[in-house]
Amino acid sequence: MTQLRGPLRILAVIAVVLAIWYLGAFLLERSGDRIAYAKLPYPHAILAKVAASPATVLEATWETGSRAVMGFFIGLIVGGLFATVMVQARAIEVSFLPYVLASQMVPIIALVPIMRAILREPELVRLYLASYVTFFVITVAVLRGLKSVDRNALELMDSLNAGRGTVLRVLRLPAAVPYIFSGMRIAAPLSLIGAILVDLVSGQGGLGYLMIAAVVVGPSQATLLWAALLISFSLGLLFARTVVWVERRVSPWQPAFRQVSG
Amino acid sequence: MTAEAAEDRVPPVDAAQEAVGHDHSLAHRLGRPIAISVKDVDKVFTGQRPVRALEDVSFEIPVGTFVSLIGPSGCGKSTLLRLVAGLSKPTAGRIEANGIEPREARRRRQFGIVFQSPVLFDWRTVAANIALPLQILGRPRAEIDARVAELAELVGLTEFVNHHPYELSGGMQQRVAIARALSFAPPFLLMDEPFGALDMITRDRMASELLRIWSSTLDTTVMFITHSIPEAILLSDQVVVMSSRPGRVSRIVTIDLPRPRTEEIRESRAFYEYDAELRRLLVEGDASATR
Repeated sequence: MTQLRGPLRILAVIAVVLAIWYLGAFLLERSGDRIAYAKLPYPHAILAKVAASPATVLEATWETGSRAVMGFFIGLIVGGLFATVMVQARAIEVSFLPYVLASQMVPIIALVPIMRAILREPELVRLYLASYVTFFVITVAVLRGLKSVDRNALELMDSLNAGRGTVLRVLRLPAAVPYIFSGMRIAAPLSLIGAILVDLVSGQGGLGYLMIAAVVVGPSQATLLWAALLISFSLGLLFARTVVWVERRVSPWQPAFRQVSG
Repeated sequence: MTAEAAEDRVPPVDAAQEAVGHDHSLAHRLGRPIAISVKDVDKVFTGQRPVRALEDVSFEIPVGTFVSLIGPSGCGKSTLLRLVAGLSKPTAGRIEANGIEPREARRRRQFGIVFQSPVLFDWRTVAANIALPLQILGRPRAEIDARVAELAELVGLTEFVNHHPYELSGGMQQRVAIARALSFAPPFLLMDEPFGALDMITRDRMASELLRIWSSTLDTTVMFITHSIPEAILLSDQVVVMSSRPGRVSRIVTIDLPRPRTEEIRESRAFYEYDAELRRLLVEGDASATR
């Protein structure tokens, strides 16, 4: 396995997973379970389901996925700004950080009806929730990153009489880049979960709506539920991989990416 | 007290003999106007348990000379360097750099600083690291490029300007830090154990390198902190010996060895005697502190 590289390795993993899946589905079917097709449908049955109504699935994917991405970027900007303000003075950080932390103690699902009542547009609620979950992770990550700078580096900047803005631009922000990307890697799939949560609760469209609809209709639509699950899984994976891809290009100097040793 | 102490001190006989013909130049250099003056400085770190880091510290550094501060850990050498650099304020006493208060001198960008760790920015290439002060000063691009090329050559890193710091050895990284500190031609170079993290061989070579680099600058005044007695002797015009808890100046020793100094000077009798004298002073200072 270790010799296999890149795409080949991914293909190998997929092949193994599919093989186990087929075996499981086959055994379940042979065991005489009458709703085996609902408990663990064959992969090709799921594909067939998607192929039967591609427009519906695609539309739902787009609806949830695009809002998740937009919400992610809103959360990124808001979280980045929050952290940037907080790092300017210890007093600001001490006064605000507890509330940022507390914001995550609220059961997110309870926020959906509240925000629906306020924002009315399900679109906006999706955006709000996707950015809400992102915002927290990003704020904490960026804050740590901005504060990760070496004391001597700050003294060096001081000795050059560099202003706050310059220190932020030249030192703090570049030093925070690895932390920001770590935060983004966690936040990207979370934003998707936030968006799906809104679909589940408000039930007007999107991947979450497909899941709810499939559950309500019953075992006959199990393949649709599985399709929605697989799509959100792939989207989450895609988001996380994209973040890593961008990170490598933006900050190749990070220790993890260095080609040189010693 | 400092100037008198330097004059009163009788140099070892051999040193005086060896230094014939160069003695004048050293005296001349030591007779120059005072660049850094530290007078009756106390520094107390307030807190639940106040710590007296420096007590009644006084010494002077003439323009264009190289002065080392040597002493045991915890004698407040680094604290003193921060005070001179205007990065923190003395509790009592007065410090002047070219006649102005250190904080104001810092605002006028009079200090190039080199720390024990190179403090290079990983995301910048060697060239961009050297250019950092000039960029902060807002110098024009063409001037920065020319100056960076000049400095890279001075520290022998021309081939590596497009590398990133992590691709360089520790000694090379520290050379980048020195080039960065000198990039904006500050009148003062403050060095806080710059070679402390290097292996012995690299360390010796870097000391010689530093002498060469320093001699190519125009009258840069150097304040150099070190643990190493031979390093202090090789580099300095004067060595300020400190004792610890609280940090005080126990003696100022003038190193009357000819310049340019080469590796061979380490083998000379005079060098050996300075070494013995400084060692004795450090032990005495340590004993009086723990008594």
